[in-house]
Amino acid sequence: MKVPFRLNSMVVAFGLAGSMLAGAAQAQNIKIGVVIPATGPLTQYGDMVKEGVDTALEQINAAGGINGNKLEAVIVDDACEPKQGPVAANRVVNAKIHYVVGPVCSGAAIAAAPIYNNEGVVVVTPSATSPALTEGKNFTSVFRTIGRDDQQGPFAAKFIAQTVKPKKVAVLHDKQSYGQGIATAVRDTLKADGINVALFEGINAGDSDYSAVITKLKSAGVDFVYYGGYHPEMGLLLRQSAEQGLKVRIMGPEGVGNPEINAIAGPAVEGMLVTLPADFAGNPKNAAIVKAFKDKKRDPSGSFQMGSYTAVQVIADSIKAVGNDGTKVAKHLHTATFDTPLGKLAWDAKGDLKSYDFQVFNWHKDGSKSPASK
Amino acid sequence: MNDFLPQFIQQLFNGLSLGAIYALVAIGYTMVYGIIGMINFAHGEIYMIAAYIGLVTLSAIGTQSGLPVFVVIGAMLLVAVVLTGVYGYVVEQVAYKPLRSSPRLVALISAIGMSIFLQNWVALGQGARDMAVPSLLPGAFNFHMGDFEVFVPYTRILIIVVAVVLMAALTFYIRHSRMGRASRACSQDMQMANLLGIDTNKVVSFTFILGAVLAAVGGVLIALAIGKLNPYIGFVAGIKAFTAAVLGGIGSIPGAMLGGVLLGVAETMAAAYISSEYKDIVAFGLLVLILLFRPTGLLGKPEVEKV
Repeated sequence: MKVPFRLNSMVVAFGLAGSMLAGAAQAQNIKIGVVIPATGPLTQYGDMVKEGVDTALEQINAAGGINGNKLEAVIVDDACEPKQGPVAANRVVNAKIHYVVGPVCSGAAIAAAPIYNNEGVVVVTPSATSPALTEGKNFTSVFRTIGRDDQQGPFAAKFIAQTVKPKKVAVLHDKQSYGQGIATAVRDTLKADGINVALFEGINAGDSDYSAVITKLKSAGVDFVYYGGYHPEMGLLLRQSAEQGLKVRIMGPEGVGNPEINAIAGPAVEGMLVTLPADFAGNPKNAAIVKAFKDKKRDPSGSFQMGSYTAVQVIADSIKAVGNDGTKVAKHLHTATFDTPLGKLAWDAKGDLKSYDFQVFNWHKDGSKSPASK
Repeated sequence: MNDFLPQFIQQLFNGLSLGAIYALVAIGYTMVYGIIGMINFAHGEIYMIAAYIGLVTLSAIGTQSGLPVFVVIGAMLLVAVVLTGVYGYVVEQVAYKPLRSSPRLVALISAIGMSIFLQNWVALGQGARDMAVPSLLPGAFNFHMGDFEVFVPYTRILIIVVAVVLMAALTFYIRHSRMGRASRACSQDMQMANLLGIDTNKVVSFTFILGAVLAAVGGVLIALAIGKLNPYIGFVAGIKAFTAAVLGGIGSIPGAMLGGVLLGVAETMAAAYISSEYKDIVAFGLLVLILLFRPTGLLGKPEVEKV
């Protein structure tokens, strides 16, 4: 493929000589890397993010793009695996992409973030909630459009302590950065609120049989269980708890809020509690965006769709404001305030949102959810 | 704790059903090793494929077919057993037979390659994400012991019963059938058996098919009991079953059964009374301990160097 390359550079050279650069630049698309799990067990989350990104891109491009430049999504698969995170980051850097929506999972995001930051790639993750992604890292170009575990965990714990008021709680987690981080935050807040946490234990993600730990929960006589992790394990915990006649309410973070949990857990999913980003799709201010989602048969009320939409929007707004330059865009994100479907957003020096709205939902066996007040 | 006994019984059931599945898969490892002295690392994938075939069969029948549950489960088992047997045969013909006379390491690498191929084959065909199996046999036997209610789900009872029946049948078959005698002869001395007129190629193929069939039953049963599968479940199951085979003494069929049950119970008890974070550590610690004192495993015969 050497010949076409040479031809290409010659054309560019002639183009430069003829000072037709302006024309060439105008036709150029601005690429946005979408780093998601496109394979592996967490593919569903990638699909959610893609729906949000696609909707935002379609709207921005239909309105003429950014100063005449269209935005273009480039999907990069990291399978949500920490070891794939840096590989995906290198692919983004090599493709000279300056903006990324993703990575989706905390583990992969933490592994990849230093590369993005060193290369000046602006990263806005709609879903990675681990504090370790930004805490103490002094990153300048890593952002998120979702709250941190240490915001979500205490929020969930407050709900448990003030609304559910259980006597004895078990907190389980999957020993991974996302699950364990959030579970630790829940445990610590519950303890501070004087709730008895009888059991705090890690289970192996990917195992298929949790009956031993469920018998243990039964033996301990807990009346409420919090699980920090993702939906495949949560689904099995629910199903096997029902099989063993363990009648407790189980609560999880937004990582368990995935429609696939209904298939895995079956009817046992009824009444599961889950903290999700507040119901942004139900906000009348967002009606037009919700309609754009629904016109394409996409689900605006999923866990990450609105956050992904917002991630694209703030990148686009920043490019519009300061030009197509990663460093300037990052600086703009740190200083400006954005009016987004998630409300007014502003980032602190670490790249975390200054405030973010969570809400607790009741999950139903038909796949719907309703706000949980009691 | 005053409820110690019922809780212990509950955990024992949990462990036995887990161990029964390990045992069914472990037999495949041990039989192949016993006859051609090779570890078939693709065996875990055979188990995973069986679980998928079971699910596809179930989808074809439909959950609302009105057929009795046992007919549906029977059909799933039958289709899975037949097709998985074919897989076992083809894997042997493609990946191992051409390497029969090469050093063992070559066949081992071929086995690992086969395992990776089969994982991705299923991931491409069925998608890599989790698939859910609707529960066909919901409900459980439950009885009170003191304040504690012991639950034994029907699916788990099915696992234990089917495993016990199959193992008894296998033992009988290996002891008394013509093919069984031929297998035992091959495991003692392949060359000699060949000289005495046994078609050793047939015996090896038969071993792979039989191993695949048992793994198939394990795969379908676990799909029914757990209700979640993805193309990577074969890896963990394979490692655990291989461990069980080594624990019991690789090459010994009763050893594989014993090893499977022991491993399942040990894991469950470790999760129950220590912490699930340490269950694999306890299980593998047990393996190391047993191999320290009995290097050939619990029921393995010491390998005599043939001169």
